[in-house]
Amino acid sequence: MKANDSIVEKSFSFSKKKTKKEFNSKSFLGKFAVYFLLIAVAFTCLLPFYSMMVTSSHANSDIARKLLLVPGSEFIENYKRLIDTVPIWRGFVNTVFITVTSTVLNLYFSALAGYGFSKYNFKYKNLLFLAVLGTMMIPGQLGIIGFFKLMDSFQMLNTYWPLILPSISNAFGIFFMKQMCDSSIPTEILESGRIDGCGELKIFHRLVLPLLMPSLATLGIFSFIGKWNDFLTPMIVLFDNELQPLPVMIAMVKSQFSTDFGAMYVGIVISVIPILIFFSMVSKKIISGVTAGALKG
Amino acid sequence: MRTSSINKSKYGFYFVLPYFIAFLIFGLVPIIFSLYLSFTKWDGFSDPVFVGLDNYARLLKDTFFFKAIGNTLIIWILSIVPQLVLALALAMILNEKFIRGKHFFRAVFYFPNIVTPVTLGVLFSLMFDWQTGSVNKFLMGIGLIDDPVNWFNSPWLSRFIVAGVIMWQYFGFNMLVFIAGLQSISEELYEAARVDGASKWDIATKITLPLLRPVLLFTFITSVIGGLQLFDAPLMLGNGPDNSTLTMVMYLFQTAFQRFDYSYGAAIAYAIFIIILFFSLITMKFSKMNKVEQ
Amino acid sequence: MKKWISVLLASVLVVALFAGCSNSESANASNDKKGDSNKVEGKLTIWTFFGQVEDMAKEFEKKYPDAEVEVKIFPGDQYQTKLLNVLQTGRDVPDIFDLERAYIDKFINSKYAANLSDMGAEALLKDYVPYVQALGRDSKGDVRAVSDHSSPGGFWYIKENAKKYLGTDNPDEISAMVDSWDKIIELGKKVNKDSNGKVHLISHYGDVYNVEAYHEKPWVKDGKLTIANSWKKNYEIQKEIFNNDVDAKLEFFSAGWGNAINDGSVVLNAMPAWAGFMVDNKDNSANDKYGLAKTPKGFYMGGTYRSIYEKSENKELAYKFIEFITSEEWQQHNLETTGNMPGLLSVYEKNLETFKTPMFGEQNILKPYYESVKEIPGMKSDKYGEEVLSKWRKVAGQGIKDNADIDEVIKDFKKEVQNSFPELKVD
Repeated sequence: MKANDSIVEKSFSFSKKKTKKEFNSKSFLGKFAVYFLLIAVAFTCLLPFYSMMVTSSHANSDIARKLLLVPGSEFIENYKRLIDTVPIWRGFVNTVFITVTSTVLNLYFSALAGYGFSKYNFKYKNLLFLAVLGTMMIPGQLGIIGFFKLMDSFQMLNTYWPLILPSISNAFGIFFMKQMCDSSIPTEILESGRIDGCGELKIFHRLVLPLLMPSLATLGIFSFIGKWNDFLTPMIVLFDNELQPLPVMIAMVKSQFSTDFGAMYVGIVISVIPILIFFSMVSKKIISGVTAGALKG
Repeated sequence: MRTSSINKSKYGFYFVLPYFIAFLIFGLVPIIFSLYLSFTKWDGFSDPVFVGLDNYARLLKDTFFFKAIGNTLIIWILSIVPQLVLALALAMILNEKFIRGKHFFRAVFYFPNIVTPVTLGVLFSLMFDWQTGSVNKFLMGIGLIDDPVNWFNSPWLSRFIVAGVIMWQYFGFNMLVFIAGLQSISEELYEAARVDGASKWDIATKITLPLLRPVLLFTFITSVIGGLQLFDAPLMLGNGPDNSTLTMVMYLFQTAFQRFDYSYGAAIAYAIFIIILFFSLITMKFSKMNKVEQ
Repeated sequence: MKKWISVLLASVLVVALFAGCSNSESANASNDKKGDSNKVEGKLTIWTFFGQVEDMAKEFEKKYPDAEVEVKIFPGDQYQTKLLNVLQTGRDVPDIFDLERAYIDKFINSKYAANLSDMGAEALLKDYVPYVQALGRDSKGDVRAVSDHSSPGGFWYIKENAKKYLGTDNPDEISAMVDSWDKIIELGKKVNKDSNGKVHLISHYGDVYNVEAYHEKPWVKDGKLTIANSWKKNYEIQKEIFNNDVDAKLEFFSAGWGNAINDGSVVLNAMPAWAGFMVDNKDNSANDKYGLAKTPKGFYMGGTYRSIYEKSENKELAYKFIEFITSEEWQQHNLETTGNMPGLLSVYEKNLETFKTPMFGEQNILKPYYESVKEIPGMKSDKYGEEVLSKWRKVAGQGIKDNADIDEVIKDFKKEVQNSFPELKVD
């Protein structure tokens, strides 16, 4: 028995030593490998964007024939051809407008409903909350055909209303804000507000919303990205070119310039670069927001 | 007289009311209306005519729809598996203390996620164009191939490319989710393991992964719902040879909004809904069973 | 920094808000157009996917100074969806809308397109290219859409290239060398051998469809799909073209195809007359570079048609516009400025000996186009034609690549057709 034990002990300590030693000698190599992986992945993340920028500055004949590694001088020419038919900057402005207004609506009403579910007791509250959760299961395309016909009868086709108003009903946002209110809004604050004679809505605006700011920022990022990428709905409900958001314009560029690769690349560059700049300025905020959102959601 | 707290409680109802009104108008009514349309014949040029279950009967015989279901599942699996593996590996690496430039790497890995899928679809369709795309030029440049590869001429290559684009776009997001999960694991656990002399590998497989399991499952379930609705990026990459990259939602879109068969499109939408529901329930059941076992 | 961004954002929003709200109120702007019958005034709205319509509008305004034409251009393939959407809703509908040949049928057989025959359009089309005027007719034979141009095609070749591989750059000689597919296959084998596989005679086996498609009988007759024997013959021809590398395997309107026109890797490019913009003509480098030969049969490709909205409040003015674009005056102008081929035979005939473009040097290119355009049979478009054809292209194209048997192709083809059109009988 004893001998057995010692053997086990010995072999254990031996293997332990060995791994430690190996680790030391290998630690440089290990780190190297890890960094190599990181850099390789980072490279594949950025390479398409680099390639896109370089290619956009060359003439079509060169794009068709050569591998392009350095920028050329045809960007302006390509840009002019693109701008001639597709008002892409207009699309950019439209997207910003749609996205910002929808996000604001989404945040406000999500916070309001989340707060309502969290801090008040009303009839059928639990049932209603379950109903909200249930709607999260419905895929977006289910009602799209009926949506189109309905917006027609509301005379809302070719306006931004069908894109913006539905942002009021965001089930995920309500779920998320309810969790946030549960954990970060102390009921005492509400009581003190009531004692000061504030109305319920005023309490929400003056006391609750400021406390919810960090969570709103997180939800805002999700909502913003989702809306920014919205493609199917605007393509269906908007007719006027001038009103189209960026993703639809890019799709338009693709079918319009089927053989004009220079112009197409310029279109892509225009749709990516501003986001790239914006992202590199506030990436810390966005990433911590997404991380926080992922954890809570 | 009622007490103040009961009095106030009706405000809660008012606060949640806007959601239900908006959902009713922009969510529920269109869904019900779509259901009605799926029982009609309507091409947009004339008024809908009630035809009963004709559209659904047609759907059951529609080999293209079944093909689209298959394509969607294949592309989803091709993209989700490597995506989660890569995201997990990177998350664990970036959670190590010795790594420098963590923020930089996180930001770079996450970046593809915020670029519009339509843009990515167009970008990749250009890069993989067999005559003019940079991928072929590059591969020929380094001597890996002699003749350009016609990527979108092979069903499987096309699917791999579509799956690759999706994976490329979402691994960064999943990585952030995993990092969040990792950060919630208590440092003391690791400390204790290290004192016990556990190797890094042991820590990863015996502590980190089991504790990360709920996060992994959550990601998996949400990706079922998202993955089965694949649309924008594949649309830009095209149907592929023999419709090999035609996804369910693409088929819905093309039927309803390009061939103007609105009523059949509505039936397809309902079929997609049932399929998504089916797969979500399976994954949820599966994940619950796992929990019980533990 | 942050402040700067928010200011920018805010101003952007304001701009967007104003612009977003001020959308089209134009369509119904002019209700009171009825003055005395000689004066042409009022405001028209035209929807199109085709940029050159702007020039058309300008010329129209020049002729009728009191009229105003607003052109809205919708580039890309979403145009027809948008058009149908707006027609359904009945608001902000344009007075005139453009239709592409590929989907014209659905629209002209709907209640949205006005009957132009009733308005006198038959007289305008008396001297028209047969196929052009036939395509704008609905199933009853009434004119509901007209085009101002024809779009014949031919083999475009770089003269130098032709001399090198075909031994001549004379258009008539070349036309005679390639007046049948058998000759093309033999010649293509030779070109392929002479150039060590670097140069091909034609760009794609699909040229066979492009040329043959509109010489065939309709795909669907009395609710039944009929596959003409000639399609089976064409399939074998295409297989032979593909397998012998007669073609460069560059699909129509792909990037490589566009490139081949310029760099000469394809000797004979089957091109529609309107595709001159594909030629790289920087610093007039393409002047006198090209020649034009006839394809085995006359073919055309595409075509933009114009319909009047049935409920338009400006029908009279809209009809004036239709009258204008079918006139010699406009079509002569259009030929001179853009090189688009006319729809009127008389305009062809007037310019036969005189019309020249820099690209083709001294060649009278109207001649080969005129000859082929006349021989294209006039056929009404039907609901199925284009879509069934595109399915055939797709299935047969796949079959050619896989070297599949024709029976297999036909089986797959029937499956595809049945799937899209369950109401058709396929067997």
